[in-house]
Amino acid sequence: MKKSAIVGIIIIAIAIGVIISTYADSSTYGSFTDARESQTELHVVGTLNKSKDLIYNPKVDANYFAFYLVDKQGKECKVVFSGAKPQDFERSEEVVLTGKMIGDEFSASKILMKCPSKYNKDKMEVQEVEHTAALNR
Amino acid sequence: MDIQFAGEHLLPGKLGQFFIILTFGSALISAISYYFATVKDTNDDSWKRIARLSAWVNTFAVVGIGASLFYIIYSHYFEYNYAWAHSSRSLPVYYIISSFWEGQEGSFWLWMFWQSVLTNVLIQRARTWENPVMTIIMLSQVFISSMLLGVEILGLRIGSSPFILLRDAVEGPIFSRPDYLSLIPDGNGLNPLLQNYWMVIHPPTLFLGFASMIVPFAYAIAGLWQKRYKEWVTAALPWALFAVMVLGTGIIMGSFWAYEALNFGGFWAWDPVENASIIPWLTLIAAVHVMIAYKNSGHSYFTATFLVLISFVLVLYASFLTRSGILGETSVHSFTDLGMFGHLLTYLLVFFILAVGFLIARWKDLPITKKDEETYSREFWLFIGALVLTVSCIQVIATTSIPVFNAIFGTKIAPPANVFQHYHQWQVPFAIVISLISGFAQYLKYKNTDPRKLYIKLVMIIIIAVMITSAFAYIADVYHNVMYVILTFAAVFSLCCNVPFLIDALKGKWKLAGASIAHIGFAFLLLGALVAAATSKVVSINTSGVGFGDEFDKSNNAKENIILYENEPVRMDQYTVTYKGDSTVGVNTYYKINYKTINQTTRKVMEEFDLYPNAQQNAKMQTIVASPDTRHYLLHDIYTHVSSVPLKTETAEHDDHTGHSEDEGYDQPATYEVAQGDTIRYREGIIIVKGINRNATVEKIPLGKNDVAIALKLQVIAKNKTYEIEPIFLLKGGNKFDFGKTVADVGLKFRFTDVHPDKNKLELMVYQKPLAEKKWVVLKAIKFPFINFFWAGNILMMVGFLLSIFRRNKEIKVI
Repeated sequence: MKKSAIVGIIIIAIAIGVIISTYADSSTYGSFTDARESQTELHVVGTLNKSKDLIYNPKVDANYFAFYLVDKQGKECKVVFSGAKPQDFERSEEVVLTGKMIGDEFSASKILMKCPSKYNKDKMEVQEVEHTAALNR
Repeated sequence: MDIQFAGEHLLPGKLGQFFIILTFGSALISAISYYFATVKDTNDDSWKRIARLSAWVNTFAVVGIGASLFYIIYSHYFEYNYAWAHSSRSLPVYYIISSFWEGQEGSFWLWMFWQSVLTNVLIQRARTWENPVMTIIMLSQVFISSMLLGVEILGLRIGSSPFILLRDAVEGPIFSRPDYLSLIPDGNGLNPLLQNYWMVIHPPTLFLGFASMIVPFAYAIAGLWQKRYKEWVTAALPWALFAVMVLGTGIIMGSFWAYEALNFGGFWAWDPVENASIIPWLTLIAAVHVMIAYKNSGHSYFTATFLVLISFVLVLYASFLTRSGILGETSVHSFTDLGMFGHLLTYLLVFFILAVGFLIARWKDLPITKKDEETYSREFWLFIGALVLTVSCIQVIATTSIPVFNAIFGTKIAPPANVFQHYHQWQVPFAIVISLISGFAQYLKYKNTDPRKLYIKLVMIIIIAVMITSAFAYIADVYHNVMYVILTFAAVFSLCCNVPFLIDALKGKWKLAGASIAHIGFAFLLLGALVAAATSKVVSINTSGVGFGDEFDKSNNAKENIILYENEPVRMDQYTVTYKGDSTVGVNTYYKINYKTINQTTRKVMEEFDLYPNAQQNAKMQTIVASPDTRHYLLHDIYTHVSSVPLKTETAEHDDHTGHSEDEGYDQPATYEVAQGDTIRYREGIIIVKGINRNATVEKIPLGKNDVAIALKLQVIAKNKTYEIEPIFLLKGGNKFDFGKTVADVGLKFRFTDVHPDKNKLELMVYQKPLAEKKWVVLKAIKFPFINFFWAGNILMMVGFLLSIFRRNKEIKVI
């Protein structure tokens, strides 16, 4: 057998290991209910409840940020994050959290936001402009 | 439908759209003509003439698109969606350039532009390779230009044009008004994160890299097509090196931009978009090595061809990942979907099938050696190294592609929760193997090497490397982790193996030095990346945060942000850090953060510097966009960014307005009955009653016979300063008046309101300004040791590639 063939087999074996590890390390998307049941790290996708206040008071603790998120099943849960409030957080439409349930609060280790960025979505903010233009006439 | 809209400039858009059609058409004609020029074996070169002409027309049209688009953005014609969405009037010219490629269309244009530059070079230099190579490249040009078409064919929209009018792109009631343009005074502006000089040069470099990947691909296809199996490798090698160099530079610029301008807190985050750019780079760098192996030994032909072909397919896969919107929830900064999913996939599949098809069709003819490589030969280890690089690439692809698997199989798998740990458990061992091979393979000869001589050399090097490794691991503090020590050894070993070659090169053979310089660069890159990532230390650890319940504290999260009040120094690591105030320049507010190192025994300031992290405040959105500032040292960086600042709108509320009563803006006054010599204590100092001035006068008020004007002589001592002040009491015509005096510096106002001769007391009212809210910033500071090794290593690597390009280019001319 050619040496390169042996090497090839070894490489393929490593590649299979890589792919298995991808799935072994991979996390799951779930809801707050799943998080409560499993008690393991998972991803929760949801939307920010904008009617409730965001809690970030750097004068008390610069590393405590809390907010209320509604997951895809419509269940709301308080989320705490150890760190500063991410920029643009108020404007986020969809939030992807990584973390787990501790008590009644979801402790997020990572927050990823999808913003309806004014930079790449076709949403117009013309109301204000229209208003002033009408006044000027 | 038939409204006459006022103030629109339709000509540049029409012209631009015409150029798009022209680009697409000329690319198509050129590709077809080059195809016939290749397959028709006639002496008549009419096909080639048509093809070249179309290629030149194509270049002209591509430049035309760019000029039209630039003109639209530069003139602020917001009737065009692209200008409206990506620019604004206040944008300086050099950022107009970056707004150009903020959108997908602009970045496609950039790709197309570079591809046409490359076609012109190839027309000049490719000689016998021109026809087949250009067929492939023009085919790619057809696909990219079709992305900009923006026309509907059979109800299917093909591509997205940058010349679409705002009123066609966006729904809105205002577009029924003929004068709608007057209601749109300004564009949306460029994402503030992209307003950075790196964003002016990073995308063009990256896209030149992507665009130049087509050239080795086209040569490989041409080699198979024309059955010039062996020749293409030599011809394509300088191009492959060029692509590796430029793409590598582009990637590293992106990394530097992320480090300098974004608050990622690092230089590589394993974000899917970053991964997408490194995937094709890994396979092409592997390809370069086996191409050299094949040239010198005749081994690894299939591996070389396959890797070159797959590299460009992976470029297309990377574009598909970042541009189709499939990454969705896994990445923050991929493009949003422009409805190009199918289009991008077609582009990818056509080139994939082209590559696989040619390989299968020519399989029996391929010059694959049946002979086994010797273990002590360079070609064998080049081959192994290339395979390890490929597997490393597969690992990155596998994890990055999780959303793709989800889309195909309908699963809902999430990416690993701990991204760094996941990638590093694989990439660190791969880096170790590659680094070791890049060292000892230098001492192997092609075909075969005398093992004994090899071992004698290597033993010496290993001894030196072990000594350097132990010293370095101790200094850089990476000896706690076995993997880190092994990686350090591997990098140092590679360094020790390659340096002698560099010395040889400096003695005169500098043209041969490319490989050793690139490998030295790679070794430094690994050391820098390892130490900076493994021992980076958050220096702004907050020890004060309390009061949010036990549950929260138990989670053991590092408290990495710290609040600083103005002029109140805080100890962080070895530094005494003080927030000294802010200043606003344009849209940015710069926060002056003073760092001091104070010797604890002598109290002497050993070192002092200021950093100016900035934040763009968006009052309307109530958000900030922060950018870090970094202090660079030879061996480490101090990196600082603000995580939170008081919003400007909150602090600007209490302006003094006219028309309010004079006492407004002060707290409730305190009334004292005082006598000479009394002392009143107040919040920030003391007030001493010095005495009475009986001869006081009030300006413009003449005193009558029975009128009395008395001034109270006061002394205010506050903040180590003394102020003298005399509020006046006036008795005129039997009525009492008083004239208060203020000491603005300390925010005090005094009124001398009455005299009580019976008690021998004087009535004094003291008004005090409310305690001003202290200014504060929340910041995060990180120390990155040895990060300059990382940057310097990258630069060395690129220099190495450049030297190799010269060398390999020369070899073409010889043949």
